[in-house]
Amino acid sequence: MSTNEMQSEIRIMKGNEALAEAAFRAGMQAYFGYPITPQSEVIEYLMKEQPNHDCVVLQAESEVAAINMVFGAAGAGARVMISSSSPGISLMQEGISYMASAELPCLIVNVQRGGPGLGTIQPSQGDYFQATKGGGHGDYRLIVLAPASVQEMADLVFDGFRLSEKYRNPAMILADGALGQMMEKLQLPPAGSLPYVDKPWATTGKPVGKDRRIITSLFIQPEKMEEVNLHLQKKYRQMEAEEVRFEEHGVEDADILLVAFGLVARICQKTMQLARKKGLRVGLLRPITLFPFPSRRIAEISSKVSSVLTVEMNAGQMLEDVRLAVEGRCPVHFKGRMGGMIPSPDEVLEAVEAIAENHNVELQR
Amino acid sequence: MIRGSVVVAQEICKGCELCIAACPQDSLGLSEKINLKGYRYAVLIQDNCTGCANCALVCPDAAITVFREKKHAKGTTASAVPA
Repeated sequence: MSTNEMQSEIRIMKGNEALAEAAFRAGMQAYFGYPITPQSEVIEYLMKEQPNHDCVVLQAESEVAAINMVFGAAGAGARVMISSSSPGISLMQEGISYMASAELPCLIVNVQRGGPGLGTIQPSQGDYFQATKGGGHGDYRLIVLAPASVQEMADLVFDGFRLSEKYRNPAMILADGALGQMMEKLQLPPAGSLPYVDKPWATTGKPVGKDRRIITSLFIQPEKMEEVNLHLQKKYRQMEAEEVRFEEHGVEDADILLVAFGLVARICQKTMQLARKKGLRVGLLRPITLFPFPSRRIAEISSKVSSVLTVEMNAGQMLEDVRLAVEGRCPVHFKGRMGGMIPSPDEVLEAVEAIAENHNVELQR
Repeated sequence: MIRGSVVVAQEICKGCELCIAACPQDSLGLSEKINLKGYRYAVLIQDNCTGCANCALVCPDAAITVFREKKHAKGTTASAVPA
């Protein structure tokens, strides 16, 4: 079946496979990558299905080579994706910084595993800082989308490509090993629902009678470089004004607000049910865009609740953004597991109960 | 009680531990060794499997095959058959 014939359909798939299939359906024209657990099913699936699609799928010799191939393909105007897991994404940071400066759209997928270093292959959210604060050198940001289900592993591919092309900025899907490996039912979007946009800046050959098109991240004159920086910052402010996305559960009457993204938000949903059965009024806010971060909404809620609990699979990274948003209006607590360990709903419930009993409890940090 | 056994396809298993939670006999655990992808896979840790096949039913990757021992007639030896 060729790409054009693919209708919307219901399938049961692994998160990694769902993401790969969605990339074909979103009209991806090129993919470069390098295998790494727990993300390898992405490139495996793409390689297997590639003959049915009009798309380049290539395993590069390293992550550094792959990201520079993405730079080239994006410069030529292709809709291009790259995927890896934490250590591989670290290797790509130079190329990503260059792409942000050269204003090239692409979709980067990070199926996170435990770190630092080579770490483990189990799920983690330890790359939050790297993803949302730039990651490489210089003042830049990525559009960061955090899926929490296999359905979103597919859906956010479309949003990732769309936003990266709208803003001419790399976008990142920040998933984790569990989302990549777990199997769930999903509704695959139909092919062709994401139209190609005009890219008058792409280097597709010199148009007759017009200037040469040049894509570069090197501007030796500081005056010019500052202009480029100001232009980038303007884009990031526009993203913060227009692209913030989040999901809320039971926030209206909440006394304790849970803030969690990705897989942990699913766990916190269960915690919320358990807590409500015990008469604790717990609400949940799940940021879907980690950059731009839903700071304004968290600030609004923080003036109504008595405390906030941030739950993450790291040592407290989003916690800092939550605290900046809360600005001291109420105490912000933290519960986290690291190194590939996943918190259980009961574990989070214990933390909620501790906070409910004594609002000044400081957990772990 | 019917005696059973399981065979786990080591290279398919991703160590999600759902089978371990589903086993009423606590027969399953994670291996000390890792497979090619780096995951610890499910293994039998006790010889008390009843062949109930709960593990195979919950396995999202269909990595588990369950065998049940036939009730053996007098004078014959037991043979394993797929459940």
